[in-house]
Amino acid sequence: MDPATRVPVTPTLEMRGMAKRFGETIALRGVAFTASQGEIHGLLGENGAGKTTLMNVLSGLYRADRGEILIEGRPAEIHGPEDALRHRIGMVHQHFELIHNFTALENVLLGREGSRWWLRVDRHRADVDAVARRFGLAVDLDAEVRRLAIGVQQKVEILKALYRGVDILILDEPTTMLTPQEVDALFATIRGLADQGVAVIFITHKIREVLRNCDRITVMRAGDMVGCLDRAEATEQRLVEMMIGQRLAGIGEADRAVAPAGDPRNVLEVRGLCVANDRGARVLEHCTFTLGPGDLLGLAGVAGNGQRELAEALVGTLPAAAGTILLGGRDVTRARVRDRVTAGLTYIPEDRIEDGLLPHLSLAENFMLGLHPYAFNGRVAFDQATARTLARRAIAEYGILARNEDVKAVDLSGGNIQKVLVARAMEQARLTGGQALLATNPTRGLDVRATDFVRRRLLEFVRDGGGVLLISEDLDELLQLCNRMVVIYRGAIVADLPRSAFDPYRIGALMTGTAGKTGDAPPAGGSTP
Amino acid sequence: MTPDAGGTMAAARRRLVGEGLTYLVAIALATLVSALFVIAMRGNVLVAFGTLLSASLGSVGGLAQTLNKISPLLLGSMAVMLGLRGGFFNIGVDGQIYAGAIAGTAIAFALQGWNLPGLIFVPLMMLAGFVGGALFGAIPAVLRARWSVNEIFITVMLNFVAYYLTEYLTTGPWNDPITGEAITVAIPVAANLPMLVPSAGAHSGIILAVVVSALVSLLLTRTVLGYEIRAVGDNPRAARIGGISIPWITFITLSLSGALAGLAGAIEVSGYHNRLVLGLTPGYGAMAILISVLGKKHPVGVGVASVLVAVLMVGSDSLQRSVGLPASAGFVFQAIVVMCVLLVDARAAKRS
Repeated sequence: MDPATRVPVTPTLEMRGMAKRFGETIALRGVAFTASQGEIHGLLGENGAGKTTLMNVLSGLYRADRGEILIEGRPAEIHGPEDALRHRIGMVHQHFELIHNFTALENVLLGREGSRWWLRVDRHRADVDAVARRFGLAVDLDAEVRRLAIGVQQKVEILKALYRGVDILILDEPTTMLTPQEVDALFATIRGLADQGVAVIFITHKIREVLRNCDRITVMRAGDMVGCLDRAEATEQRLVEMMIGQRLAGIGEADRAVAPAGDPRNVLEVRGLCVANDRGARVLEHCTFTLGPGDLLGLAGVAGNGQRELAEALVGTLPAAAGTILLGGRDVTRARVRDRVTAGLTYIPEDRIEDGLLPHLSLAENFMLGLHPYAFNGRVAFDQATARTLARRAIAEYGILARNEDVKAVDLSGGNIQKVLVARAMEQARLTGGQALLATNPTRGLDVRATDFVRRRLLEFVRDGGGVLLISEDLDELLQLCNRMVVIYRGAIVADLPRSAFDPYRIGALMTGTAGKTGDAPPAGGSTP
Repeated sequence: MTPDAGGTMAAARRRLVGEGLTYLVAIALATLVSALFVIAMRGNVLVAFGTLLSASLGSVGGLAQTLNKISPLLLGSMAVMLGLRGGFFNIGVDGQIYAGAIAGTAIAFALQGWNLPGLIFVPLMMLAGFVGGALFGAIPAVLRARWSVNEIFITVMLNFVAYYLTEYLTTGPWNDPITGEAITVAIPVAANLPMLVPSAGAHSGIILAVVVSALVSLLLTRTVLGYEIRAVGDNPRAARIGGISIPWITFITLSLSGALAGLAGAIEVSGYHNRLVLGLTPGYGAMAILISVLGKKHPVGVGVASVLVAVLMVGSDSLQRSVGLPASAGFVFQAIVVMCVLLVDARAAKRS
């Protein structure tokens, strides 16, 4: 279908007056939304703006309190995911809905894996393979999903939706963990889908991706639809204003990490580190890098190339098979988790819920986790008053939205949980005099404001003479913040680059192991994003 | 700060009222279902319930029996609760009760000739029970902490070990040949727990049980160790990254859990039977699990539930005499109560 015929008379999808509240929180205040066949429609807004809620209503996960949905002009009753599927609506969620001990193939086939009683997985294999090839989604279909990197798991999710056959495909923040090349490939895939008549709804908070790839853009803020623009009318400035109402200062060159002269001793030094995972397979191969005071060192890589294992080996939850880890010159290769913290390491974990949170304990008690050996000076009693004071201070200082310090952690939103973890890490570093901060994807899923806030805290830490190792799958973030970057590919450090050598396409090539094939020089036209 | 605190108090009160209401509904439902059961058994509902209450609470003797029952139930439930708070399932309370009883009895026999005063003898015996239970609890603790062996299977199997060890001791080396039963000769009088109400036979184990339970509650809420136990129980991954040693917490939690049950065993020997008896625990371990669930893993809730179950246990003995219901009717009532609470609770959780 060529672009000239892209605006049909009846939109494929029309949502009118959608309203939804969760208890006292109003998530949607009468939102209107349309999407047409053959277009890529950006649904833009900050976290909590209601984008995902609106789409969850469409995909049958939530029921709206009010409002109607029209598909091809006819009212559609969507009460559950199976209704959505019947209307050929598919959604790829930000948090994947995969069964971890099934293979990729079994996940793709889930619900249609055979006849009524018998499994016929292999019979469908060729079909799935064909779909995967057609859309350029290379996935090892026989790998168990829990063994796959997060980025690969996302591909399985997309494949799952495509295999079911959809006319309306919703992608919730799909680009967060991809390299520039993969993002390009994803949008090529999506464009291909759109050209075949699919209406693609792309939920994001990244303005640049919307501007680069979408045909129309709907902006939401605080449960309201602010406006819908054609690509031609949209500018970055205008979208920012619509999204957050005011312009944030942004992080400029002046804020960026600059290695100060002074104590040249490295806060963290890793030499020839090798790590095997719990199945005995080598996942880190002779990693060597140093983190000096004032360094904000980025670790770039596609998810699943050993970042998680590197973090765990540094923290001390995964043993090193070979190599040395030095913290401020002290060998901690065999030290326990707590001894490493005492030696100056602080960690903002990757999975804020699984690795960082005590869901049924109070905010104050969560705040004390990892601080408790230091804040109570080794006393037997858990001093609730101290815990509360510290938590209250963090709530005020970090703008954590919580009624008070006694609320259960499970009742906090994702952004606020992340603020608790960042505040906790900073407090821990203060108590132990820690100089090395390890942060893994600290801004994933956060809105513009919270992201900016967390990034500023990292920069502050560096400015105060500490060193930050920032492991992030968001390359834009690394490019923006770091003064140095190392690239990890298949468990090995393949490059150590100063800021002057930052080039997204070259780094992307290093991340995907294709740098050798395309040559080390940046490809022609590589600088035009 | 002040309005916040006020808000918290109000919220906490609302929650408490909500929980209370849940339980009232559940008890009402349980009463109704139990009444239907009594009718189905051709009994008189009012007489049955009246007997239940008067037998367990209505007389000094009944009250004494109820108090005596509360001690092992409360300590056993605290043992299960402590484990659950740390994320462990101690299904071996019965075995640990026997272990504590054996250790207590052994000390009593060993120190027989020393003419110790009760003031020293009784605490020594309690300590022996505590340590015996702890050692028995340390077996699954070490296996789990060191080699990640599931503690459920180990504790279940150890129940048999303890039971048959008790059978051996009560019929073999320590057997009292005169009775012809699986019981030992009596321990020295100085090793008997002092009586609370001598005429009615209520021993002072209840005081010990309540004090120790209060200490467990303090341990959980007011100490760093308790915090670490709760952290591990809530999310072991996060706890580990927070620098908490999972093997150490596993070891200490399961050992302490066993110790609480062991203390219950020593109390039964020292206070109630005055000797080691096969059948010392009529399944307190299973009831302790139910009580922990009923009490929502909270010390106060566990205390209330222990009293309730003790009343049912003591009261149901007399049902046979008064209304011709089998004594096991008490177990049916217990089951009905547990199911009703779980049902009403699940409904309430779904609504909110």
